[in-house]
Amino acid sequence: MANVAPDYDKAGDDGCTKVKVICLGDSAVGKSKLVERFLMDGYKPQQLSTFALTLFNYQTEVNKEKVSVDFWDTAGQERFNNMHPSYYHQAHACIIVFDTTRKITYKNLPNWLKELREYRPEIPCLCAANKIDVDVSVTTKSFNFAKKHNMPFYFCSASDGTNVVRLFKDAIRAAVAYKNNSTDFMDEIMRELENFELETDKKDNEVDSGLDSTGNSDEQKQTTAS
Amino acid sequence: MGEEIEVKKCGVKFKPPAIVVTYLLVETSKLHRRTMPLRNFTKNSDVSKAASDLRTHPRHGQFVKGLPKSQLERLICIIRDKLCGMSLEASLARNEEMQKIDSDEDLNKVDPELLARKKSVMEDTFEKNQKKPGDADFEYDLQVDFDNQIVETCEWDSEGSNEDF
Repeated sequence: MANVAPDYDKAGDDGCTKVKVICLGDSAVGKSKLVERFLMDGYKPQQLSTFALTLFNYQTEVNKEKVSVDFWDTAGQERFNNMHPSYYHQAHACIIVFDTTRKITYKNLPNWLKELREYRPEIPCLCAANKIDVDVSVTTKSFNFAKKHNMPFYFCSASDGTNVVRLFKDAIRAAVAYKNNSTDFMDEIMRELENFELETDKKDNEVDSGLDSTGNSDEQKQTTAS
Repeated sequence: MGEEIEVKKCGVKFKPPAIVVTYLLVETSKLHRRTMPLRNFTKNSDVSKAASDLRTHPRHGQFVKGLPKSQLERLICIIRDKLCGMSLEASLARNEEMQKIDSDEDLNKVDPELLARKKSVMEDTFEKNQKKPGDADFEYDLQVDFDNQIVETCEWDSEGSNEDF
């Protein structure tokens, strides 16, 4: 049991890149099963006692860069129809999952995506259509949700293993790429917002948000120019 | 212990609460019956926990592992319903309903016990279709391209109710 969530902005102990990949989707769509299938027995699940969630660590290499990946799993929090903000905090990629045998889980995807984008507007998101082993004929159908939101789409089965490893390897690559290039403005804003939140967590009165130095000064420049 | 067995039949006893399994001992081709009491089981007990306790029981475990998880939970649930004073007919009907997987039912909104039962039903399918290390056709990184097999748009998309789609 750990009490403190890892900080993904710091490098790992051995200088490796730390990324966080989260899974989203309805109850019983197979999120944990997918993570377990990818990791097989080489995983170390870790319960964070402060929040209801499970964390699986995985060490790998992407383009000769050492990468330490934490997969975050909901541990049933989705039953409350939304996740604690800490679940999204510092995430670098998201796997959004639905169950091809249950329509409601597909229909709920926009709600999950909406919540994700409130916290992480820019991170890469991959869409997994799970349980294709139950009725493989579902793979002759197209699902527009992923296309519409520009997400890579994977027909997969945690049970027989179809495309699970591909899904997770792509997610890890996307997470690392995002982390290495995350210089766009929105992301800077988000990072500062996050720091701001952490600061206020630590000290209640001293509010010095990073936002003042970027967002507001831009505004001032505009004012002066006009 | 550890002999190869095949479960043939299963049932319940109400007094005292117990699961009864009829099994074939493969080595001798003889049928045996085993009664496994549910210790300290009351009308307030957790069905899913009682089932997993029995499945991991050092002596009884091997006799119930041959049962689908959802079936064992169903039997235990019938015992609990009886302890709550429910008729057998009502309990059977209720259990039937609990084990149905409804494509439109939002499982984020059901109580934990019902969710656990539905998960067990799905788990049974999962295990039935599962390919594990050691199986002849197991492949860790199994990749299949379905792109050129798409022939139609899923009917779930055609209901234009949600503009986020």
